[in-house]
Parts: sequence; structure tokens; C-alpha cells
Amino acid sequence: MILAVLFANSEGNILVERFNGVPAEERLHWRSFLVKLGADNLKGVKNEELLVASHKSVYIVYTVLGDVSIFVVGKDEYDELALAEVIFAITSAVKDVCGKIPSERLFLDKYGKICLCLDEIVWKGLLENTERDRIRRLVRLKPPTEI
Amino acid sequence: MAQPLVKKDDDRDDEAEYSPFLGIEKGAVLQEARVFNDPQLDARRCSQVITKLLYLLNQGETFTKVEATEVFFAVTKLFQSRDIGLRRMVYLMIKELSPSADEVIIVTSSLMKDMNSKTDMYRANAIRVLCRITDGTLLTQIERYLKQAIVDKNPVVASAALVSGIHLLQTNPEIVKRWSNEVQEAVQSRAALVQFHALGLLHQIRQNDRLAVSKLVTSLTRGTVRSPLAQCLLIRYTTQVIRESGINTQTGDRPFYDFLESCLRHKAEMVIFEAARAITELNGVTSRELTPAITVLQLFLSSSKPVLRFAAVRTLNKVAMTHPMAVTNCNIDMESLISDQNRSIATLAITTLLKTGNESSVDRLMKQITNFMSDIADEFKIVVVEAIRSLCLKFPLKYRSLMNFLSNILREEGGFEYKKAIVDSIVILIRDIPDAKESGLLHLCEFIEDCEFTYLSTQILHFLGIEGPKTADPSKYIRYIYNRVHLENATVRAAAVSTLAKFGAMVDSLKPRIFVLLRRCVYDSDDEVRDRATLYLNTLGGDGAVVETDKDVKEFLFGSLDIPLGNLETSLKHYEPSEERFDINSVPKEVKSQPLAEKKASGKKPSGLGAPPSGPVSTVDAYEKLLSSISEFSDFGKLFKSSAPVELTEAETEYAVNAVKHIFDRHVVFQYNCTNTIPEQLLENVTVIVDASEAEEFSEALTKPLRSLPYDSPGQTFVAFEKPDGVPAVGKFSNMLRFIVKEVDTSTGEAEDDGVEDEYQLEDLDVVAADYMMKVGVSNFRNAWESIGEDFERVDEYGLGPRESLTEAVSAVISLLGMQPCEGTEVVPNNSRSHTCLLSGLFIGNVKVLVRLQFGIDGPKEVAMKLIVRSEDESVSDMIHEIVASG
Repeated sequence: MILAVLFANSEGNILVERFNGVPAEERLHWRSFLVKLGADNLKGVKNEELLVASHKSVYIVYTVLGDVSIFVVGKDEYDELALAEVIFAITSAVKDVCGKIPSERLFLDKYGKICLCLDEIVWKGLLENTERDRIRRLVRLKPPTEI
Repeated sequence: MAQPLVKKDDDRDDEAEYSPFLGIEKGAVLQEARVFNDPQLDARRCSQVITKLLYLLNQGETFTKVEATEVFFAVTKLFQSRDIGLRRMVYLMIKELSPSADEVIIVTSSLMKDMNSKTDMYRANAIRVLCRITDGTLLTQIERYLKQAIVDKNPVVASAALVSGIHLLQTNPEIVKRWSNEVQEAVQSRAALVQFHALGLLHQIRQNDRLAVSKLVTSLTRGTVRSPLAQCLLIRYTTQVIRESGINTQTGDRPFYDFLESCLRHKAEMVIFEAARAITELNGVTSRELTPAITVLQLFLSSSKPVLRFAAVRTLNKVAMTHPMAVTNCNIDMESLISDQNRSIATLAITTLLKTGNESSVDRLMKQITNFMSDIADEFKIVVVEAIRSLCLKFPLKYRSLMNFLSNILREEGGFEYKKAIVDSIVILIRDIPDAKESGLLHLCEFIEDCEFTYLSTQILHFLGIEGPKTADPSKYIRYIYNRVHLENATVRAAAVSTLAKFGAMVDSLKPRIFVLLRRCVYDSDDEVRDRATLYLNTLGGDGAVVETDKDVKEFLFGSLDIPLGNLETSLKHYEPSEERFDINSVPKEVKSQPLAEKKASGKKPSGLGAPPSGPVSTVDAYEKLLSSISEFSDFGKLFKSSAPVELTEAETEYAVNAVKHIFDRHVVFQYNCTNTIPEQLLENVTVIVDASEAEEFSEALTKPLRSLPYDSPGQTFVAFEKPDGVPAVGKFSNMLRFIVKEVDTSTGEAEDDGVEDEYQLEDLDVVAADYMMKVGVSNFRNAWESIGEDFERVDEYGLGPRESLTEAVSAVISLLGMQPCEGTEVVPNNSRSHTCLLSGLFIGNVKVLVRLQFGIDGPKEVAMKLIVRSEDESVSDMIHEIVASG
């Protein structure tokens, strides 16, 4: 299960948070944990360089893309490798939607489209789509090119 | 937390022009949502409002039921618009709002229409939305369309239906299971993702049908799997089949191993990892099977991608727990990871190295770790401390550098859990490595000079009181203890007073000086401290003369309370203040929950100070107390050894019984711990009828029945046997539980007067040679070997016959003898053709025994062994050979 996808700006403010199968009372804990993890480790990290951590039996893969930090949390079959696949799909989609590495402003300007991309990539904790081109077309309700 | 968790609308003014959502407010957005009701829809504006709603939801904002309903109804109006972008947003919005069952009806017709639309993308999205919001009744209506969708030529439609199936399987399994033919067809799809989703769903549908899973795996491992993700699933399902099928006994091959091995050469990294992990986790994996997996993992250790390094080191760390020697080849790569930027990787690398390192590499490793410790978080440090503790127990000769390391980090900053882990480790090392005692105690003394945690200070003081007086120069600890009386809070002061008293009681020469100190404590501001000081002054004989302390006083100071605290508490609660004093002898001594406590203790890691004088000694202590309280056993002499409990019943049976074997010089006592798990029954006069016909040297001496065994309240019955003095007699005992059973009315808890006699067959119990051997380690085997001398050395060679591996042969001999392996020699390096194992122990009669085992294995797996025994007694050396010869 992909437990959480979270976007934060460089100051640790939440831009997007989507939890799956995480009880409401634990969400705040996760939010603070992830933001702190980012604050401690993401300084000076190159765009899209993946960092990884594990907390109890849960895995976390996170990265930075322009002004935005992205965190993906998973457990069981969604280990660090599967999450790397998920976060790669997310960063590619965000770059496509924004047309470049996003500033915070650009990210917020394209907020609706980014939500659609996330909807195509993760569906209630399961990975649905990974291909960049397909996601780009699906959010515009265009059929994929492969058929 | 480093950063404040505020929403964007709380941002500072200087970002005023920055966020398009600045000042966003739920109420205002809900007002704006009225635009959805306009007869002339402005698609662009509607999309903007939906985006704002999404923004609110994505920040954890919630809508009340009324708000959600209002927005939902408004959103449904947007189906009238033909704008594609807006339609896509509408689908998402409906999912996010998750309408309740009575509202769903409003959109079903629109969604059903979209589901049959000619536009593929409408179909796919409508399926996703419908399946998200639907219930069972609606599902049966749309089932037909979903089945069609699974085999749709458009992969997006097929995937949408398949992923819906995975979700719906949780809520409506019967319906989804009917789709297995379509799903089976989708597994053969040319579209990679469809195959992945179909495989996942098909396996979930059939997971309880072993044969079907096996067939699925067999056909797919022969065919082609297009998506790496699907390939990973296939590997997982394959390992499941391997686990259930076992090794082919004729050829010795493991089914599907070749498939897993071929996946190690796959082009996708995730497949390689999945296969490598699968191989390392195979039951009883051999070194030949393991090698290719370790080789690929080793390559990933130097990957430029942190995720791959993490995955590799995490897997190797796991392998190191079971096959440390297999991982040693990776040690050089692993050492370079100690400086990895990513601390999770560095910690995993260090703990792996600590598991696989050899004695010669310890010092170098410690140097590297010292630099690393300062910049990791406490939770990582605790992992490292625990790994160092195990390493020290493995290489006791290295205690000096490891103990120094622990004391150094003890002085640095850290939270309670971290400090507790260090102190626990030092305590365990002091207990297990006699040479480490003095230095360890001094490290602890220095720590309490500046310890901010009351709990740790009191625990250390307690430990000092037990161990300090036994050292060569006990006086050097007094200063540290008495300083506590001046500098600390009342709890610590009281603990320090008790510790001082223990020194006074044990070291007669110190007594007068201890009295001086205790007398000063009588003026303490805290009553508990004063009371303790007064009590100890009186019990130790306050005139300060250098006399030997009474046995009773020592018992009072050092002995544990010989009644269970729970019982004491209950008795005190029932005591009514009166002229008659509370009599501690009236407290029942029966240990009610003992079997449960034993089970817990056996599963727990050794806890250091967490359970002060308990730890390994405590169970023996408790048994000793228990047995000595039973008058029938009082003339059996000193208890030599008690075994771990042996289960005599299966789990979850009506009556749960386990047995502990207590060994005395001339007797063996079986303690049967019984639990009655039936609320409607009361058992009385419970005994175990033991048939010792297969244990010729034993004769039954006495039986101590258990008067009553109510539901869920464990009790014990005993059977004692006589045996020839000092002889390690062995035999098999068959057991039958006999009792009178009475019906209990569960509503009133009262039992009927009349009962029926009944019996219950238990498993057999064996007394083996290992029961007469106590595991006692030595810190330096060579010194011990030399000092015991070759006077009573006995050497012989044995053929152990064909064995699976050297490891198996070594562990069989160790468990046959029941001795303590020394210096980590119980671990056999991979691919070794020969191995030497060192054992030490104490044989009944307190005879020290040391054993060197030299093993060799030849081609057809025939194992030969040379056994060299040295002991303090000729007959014991011979006996060890007899045990091996007859085992």
C-alpha cells in the first residue's frame, strides 16, 4: 500500500497531502515526521536525486524538485524500489505539466493539473500508471498513443 | 519540528503576490461553487473553483456533511458541459467527495452513460468513479460492463476495470471472483500495465487455491512477462510456490530456482532486486544458491543511486543475520558506505559490518563508527549500540575497546532510550564477561556522577550494590555512591542508602565507615531516605563493630522477596487495620502466572537493567525458591540446573501443560505447569501419572498433586525421581494428566459438588545428557584450556555419517552436549570443508569442562569429527565421550 504522497514547499508548508489507510489521528505525526526528514536531509540535494529512509516497517522515498519537496511513503510490497518507481512517475508528470522544474508559484498555478496526474498515478494506495506520455494524455482525456 | 506546519493562507505578507491561493477560505470557495449551478456554464471558471476545492481537501481540510452534499449536487450539474478538461476534473472531484449511498443515485445515470460512451477515456474514468462510490447492489447492475472492460482493447479501460476489481475484492469478493476468466485473458495482454494489474488481481482471486497459483506460476515463468512490475509480482508468487513445495528430494534441486537466478540478469533493477531477495529468503538456502544473489547485491552497493544502495545494504543486512559469512565478501564495499550521506544507508552498513566482522577488524571498525556516531539520530544510535553489544558477546577478548566505546558514547549527549540502551549493554557485558566487570562498573559510576535520568541512576545503584562488594577493591565505589546522597533527588538518595548498606553487609572491613555515612543520612530531608538509613543501621548492628553480618540480614538485603508481589498486594488490600499485625507469612506463595511469565521471558532479548537482579539468574532463583518452599524437596540438596519449559500439549488445547526439569545430585524433579482453558470446568486433585519404564535408572520418589486448577489460573504439580548419585542418567518418560473435573456454572462461578475422574494424554518428556550440563562461557578459551591442563584430556575420533552440511553437524553436536559455544565458533563459514568449534560448560557436580571439536566433511557429505575434552575430573571427560558415542 502507498500510505502517503506529500508535497511541501521549501519552508515545510504542505502543498498536497494524500493519505491512504492512515488513521486520521496519525496523519499529523506523519506530516511532521516527513517535513522534518526533508528539513534535515534535503538541503543541497540535486533535483530529483532520491533519498530513502525507513521508519519501523515503512519505507519513505523523497526528493526535491525546484521549490517543492516530494515524499512518498509505502509499506509491504511498496518498498523503496517500488516507491522509487512511483516518485519517478510523479516527478516526470509534474515536470511535464509545469514545462520545467517548478518554482512554488508555477506549481500552484498548475495545481489542478497536478492533482489529475496524481489521480492517474496512485489510486487509493495502489500504483495505476507509470508512463509519462500516457499520463500526459490521460489528464487531458486523450487516449494513449499505443493503441 | 524544524518548520511550522501552517497552511498557505497563514503565510507572511511578503509573499502576498506569490500564491494563487493566498487568503483562500473554505466558506468563500463554497460560495464560489454556486457557479456550477449557472445555466450558462463557464468551464474555465468551474475548473478553477474545483482546483480550489481540491487544494483545500489536499491540505487536510474537511467538509461537513451538509457542505459536502451541497458541493456534490452542484458538481453533478457539470456533466452538462461538453468541455473535456472540466469533465476530467468532475470525475476527480466526485471521487474526492465520496458521496454517501443515498446521494450516489444522482450521478449513477450520468456515469453509466459515460461507461457506455464511445469515447474510451469517458469509459475508463466512469469505471473508476463508479467503482469508488458504488455499493454491492449497483455493482451487480454494472458487472456486465466491467467484465467487458477487463478485456477492452484500450489498455486504459482494461486497467481501470482491473484496478477497480482489486479494490472491490475487499468489499464484494463473490462478485469479483466471477471475473476470473476475463482476468486470466487480461494476463496475456500485450500491454505491460494491463498484465501487471491483471496478474495482481488474478493472484488475489486465487490465492487460497495452491494448485491454481502453482499453474499460474508455471505457465508465466515459461512465457514472457512484459512489465518489470509484473515480473516482480511473478517472483513473489514463485517464492510462495517454492516455499510450499520444498526441495526435490531425488535431484536435490529446488523448483524454479533457475527462473529466479535468470531474473538476476534482467534489465530492470527492481526485478534483479526482487529475485536476489527471493533467493536470500529461501528456506535453508545453500551457499551455492546464495552466491549469485550476493554478487549482484554487492554491485549495487556502489551504485550512484541512493535507493539502490539502500535496497542492497538492507537486503545484505538481513542475510547477515542468518548467513554472516556469505556477506563478508562485501565488507570492503560496505565500509565505504559508512560515510554515505544518507544516514539510513550508513547505519545499515555499520550494523551489517558488526554482524559479519571478524575479531581482527573490530578495532578498525570502532574507529570508523566513532566518527559516524556524532551525526546520526538517537534511533540509529540505539541500533548501533545493540549491534556492538552482540559483537562484544561474540568476541569477548575485544571487550576493552568495545567497552571503551560504550563508555565514551555514554558521556555524550543523548535521550533516555539511547542512554538506557548503552547502560543495558554495559550491564550485560559485565554479567557475561567476568574480565569486563571492574572497568564496566567504573564506567557506570562515572556516568551516575552526571546522569539526568533518575530511573537509570537508581538502576545502576542497585546493580552496584550487588556487584560492587564482590570486586577486589569495593571501597573505590563508595565515593561515587555517597556523592549521590549529597547531590541527587530523594529517589536516587534512597537508592544510594540501600546500596551503601549492601556494601556494609558484604564487606566487613568497610562496615565501620559505612555506618558513619549511614548515620549522616538519618538527617536527610526526605522521610524514605531517613527510614532506610535507620532500618539499615539497626539491621546491620549499629554499634559499628567489625563483625560478620548475620545470614538473615544478608538474606533481607540481597534476597528477593520470596512471595509474588501481586499476592502481597492482594493480601495487603484485604488487611484491616487492627491490633493484630499484618503477617507476611500469611501471603500465599503460589506463583499463579508463572508459566505465562516464563513464556514471555524466553521470547525476550536479554534486558539489561530493565529487570535488575532478574535477567538470566532470576528464573533459576525463582525455581530455587519455589522448590525450597516445598517441604518434600527440602532434603534434595542444591538445585544444579532447571531446563527451559518443554511444551507437552499442542497450542490451543483444553489443557495447556509444559514441564520444567529440575536436576539435583540424586534427584530429578519434573514441574508440570498446568493451565485450564475451559471456563465451564474446575479441575481438582491434578496429578501427572508418569510411566518411567523407558528410564531404567530412575525410580519414582514422590508426587505432589495440585489441589485445584480453576479456569485460566495456572498451577503446578510435581513428580520427583531418584537416580544414582552424580550419574547423568537419561530416559524417556510418558505422561498422563489425571484429575477430577467439576462443572462450573459460568454465571455464578460456582462449581458442582460432584466431579468425575478423567485423564488427558500428554507428550513424552526426555531427560538427556545435556540436562546435566550448564552453559557457562569463558572469556578466553585458550587461557582456560591451558590452565585446566591436559591431565584429564581425552581424545577420540568419530564418524558422524552423511550430513546436510557442516553447520548442521556442528549444531547437532552442540545441542547434544548442551554446552556454551565460545568465541563465535558455532558459526561455520560458507563453503568450509573443515571447522573447529570451542565449547565450555559446567557438568553436574560443578565440574568444569572444555571441549574442542574439529570437523571435516568430504565429497559425499560424510562428516568426521575429532573430539578433545579437558575437564577437572577424569570420569567426566570419559562421560562426554560416552555421550557423543551414544548420541
